Amino acid sequence: MEPEKFQQVFKRLEAEVRKVIVGHDDVIRQVLIAFFAGGHVLLEGVPGLGKTLLVKSLSHVLGVSFKRIQFTPDLMPSDIVGTEVLTEANGRREFQFKKGPIFAHVVLADEINRATPKTQSAVLEAMEEKQVTVFGESHTLASPFIVLATQNPIELEGTYPLPEAQLDRFFFKLMVAPPSPVELREILKRTTGTETGDAGKVLPDDGGKVINQMQQLLRQVLIAPPIEDYVVRIVHATQPNLSNSNGSTSPVKQYLRFGSSPRGAQAVILGAKGNALADGRIHVSYEDVARVIYPALRHRIILNFQAEAENVNTDEILAEVVKQVPRS
Amino acid sequence: MRTSTDAQSRDSPEQWVGRLVAQLRNHALWDSLLIFSPPLLVAIYLAVYLYRGAWIAPITFLLLSGAVIGVGLLAVVVRTRPLIPSVRSAARLVDEKTKAKDRFLTLATIDVGLWPAALVGRLRREAATLLERIDFRREFPYRIKRSFYWSFLVSLIAAALLHLSMPLMGSSRRQAPAYEKLSELAEKMAQRPPLSALAHDLRTLAMKLEQPNVADQEKQTLIHKTLEQVEKQQKKEEEKESRALLGEASSTLQGLEQQSARSQQKDAEKGGGGAQSNPSQEGQGEGKQSQGGGDSKGELNAERSKDMQQGQGARGDPKEQGKENQQSQRDGKDNQPDPSNKSDKDTGKELTGKTPGGSQEKLGRSRSEEIPQGAPPAERFYQPGEQGKEGVKGARYVTVQLPEELAADSKGEGAISKPSKETRAYPKAPVSNAPLPAYVPDAPTEKQQLPLEYRGIIR
Repeated sequence: MEPEKFQQVFKRLEAEVRKVIVGHDDVIRQVLIAFFAGGHVLLEGVPGLGKTLLVKSLSHVLGVSFKRIQFTPDLMPSDIVGTEVLTEANGRREFQFKKGPIFAHVVLADEINRATPKTQSAVLEAMEEKQVTVFGESHTLASPFIVLATQNPIELEGTYPLPEAQLDRFFFKLMVAPPSPVELREILKRTTGTETGDAGKVLPDDGGKVINQMQQLLRQVLIAPPIEDYVVRIVHATQPNLSNSNGSTSPVKQYLRFGSSPRGAQAVILGAKGNALADGRIHVSYEDVARVIYPALRHRIILNFQAEAENVNTDEILAEVVKQVPRS
Repeated sequence: MRTSTDAQSRDSPEQWVGRLVAQLRNHALWDSLLIFSPPLLVAIYLAVYLYRGAWIAPITFLLLSGAVIGVGLLAVVVRTRPLIPSVRSAARLVDEKTKAKDRFLTLATIDVGLWPAALVGRLRREAATLLERIDFRREFPYRIKRSFYWSFLVSLIAAALLHLSMPLMGSSRRQAPAYEKLSELAEKMAQRPPLSALAHDLRTLAMKLEQPNVADQEKQTLIHKTLEQVEKQQKKEEEKESRALLGEASSTLQGLEQQSARSQQKDAEKGGGGAQSNPSQEGQGEGKQSQGGGDSKGELNAERSKDMQQGQGARGDPKEQGKENQQSQRDGKDNQPDPSNKSDKDTGKELTGKTPGGSQEKLGRSRSEEIPQGAPPAERFYQPGEQGKEGVKGARYVTVQLPEELAADSKGEGAISKPSKETRAYPKAPVSNAPLPAYVPDAPTEKQQLPLEYRGIIR
């Protein structure tokens, strides 16, 4: 695929999703980048901000299958991955695998933190391996496959916060902010009147092939070794226990329990590549890296008790890290 | 400009970045050269100054110059190396200028073989298009840094200070290098047969100059004599190198002669005035004065002869005086003036050595009044302070200026009479040039302070 076509498709996808979703331009862009980079996205925001609508719209415009799973405490893994059921056909009874909603191209895991860890882990295996195992038999998931999980930062009673190891599986963590007054007016206009926006399909029904080509092109985007070095330095600087990280008074040492894993660096580079392609470039620049550092690393650095007590969030610490690490 | 643009359009972006690195390296080199050139020039100027002022030998000059240039070059290299930009930084510079969003950085640093050729080619084309926007020389011109101006200013001040302070330092130079230089010149001359005799003379002179017990007058005479020989030889000599050697010797000798004359003059000034209480000091002072007084030996001898004719003697150590007297009796011709001054050199030497009170003779005092004629030989063996026929041996003299009234009284000139003459009390202390005993056994150890009212009359 030509880079121009990638950019063209990307722009059209953005435009179509924007017909339904008001605002959240950055979230839409990042979700699309994560999708073409082959990653999963954790969307965090209070209820009613359009998270679910965003995901539905995205799957619609991409022309791929979409399933939604509402996570509840009594949700079982089999409800997600599927199970073998006894069927009778031609006088023969046999167990047949009944696929769960995880076998869609786009899966919305709504309020993922409400399910038990057992159920969560079933999803997370699918996210990482892109396959599920039921009764000792492995089943490959659809390609492309993306899990868009949402979680609510409030109403934490009766929830099971995702463990750090599971958070690390998400490519990006995107914060869905409340709309501005202008955006809210536009939302009201679109949803309370007679005219409702409707996203059209950008890719045909067999869009999976095009999506795979786009995903391959994204990995071919050129990146200069100095920029890779910069990413490495950024990720390295988030480690609080390393002797060569910044002084003992730095926010990293003061507020972090754990730094980013190598998956963080991978996410930054792939995200930067997607960003470059979305801008019509075939090479990564420092600006591309800067744009994806926060969504790629904010859920991979673990705050300590002091940070939580002082209400310090990870974005503030990352901002400090970016400030301290030189580009060359 | 056109050529430059054409050349840059032909270059690939990677080559362009390479050219930029080379240019920036040259800029860094120029910066370092400009910064270190002024102090280097000052250092070379100093070395040349030292060499021309004969402070340092030619080999030292060469070594010093070489060391200065070496250190300068080393400093240039040390300063330039960290300033040479890497390919990365040069590429980033181009990216900033062209707003290329790290295209040049990517092209300059990626391993082309690892990436799809189509994408690399496309990126190269994009970068080449951006390159057309900028002109190499206009965007990356060489500008003289402020550090150069500082270096220049500081060096200029240093040079000025050195230039002003060198003569002061030169005045405090020690004499040793001069006769060392004479020895060196003598060695050089000894290698040339026509100059070997002169080399011998120079070596002798150098040895004499080195010896502290040789009299200054003798040294000066020897310097003068050698200088004359050098000048004679210089006129005869036709070979260029020999002439140069002789010229060097001549200038060194002239310098020595002037220096010697100056030092003698200083000594004479030091020994001439004030109350003279020590006979040996007195003698020295007088002697030096006489040496410094006349520039030529003829003049000196003429004065000496004139004094002898007038029968004036120097006041000084009786022993010295006795010797002088004996000498003058032996060499009867010395008592006669020698208008031709032909035998000046020999007699002059003896006179300077044996009659230190040469200029004292000019004071008009009669030698026959004070110097005893034919002191008995045994008196030479008197201990200091013993009373001999001629007075106390090793006596100290005090020169006292008498008040006018007393002086008049003592001479019997009663013409000056003042009303206060009878009423005024005068000290009974010795008021003449009476010899004082050098050592009085029962004398009190503590010294009485001179009353203030007497200070005005004692000069």
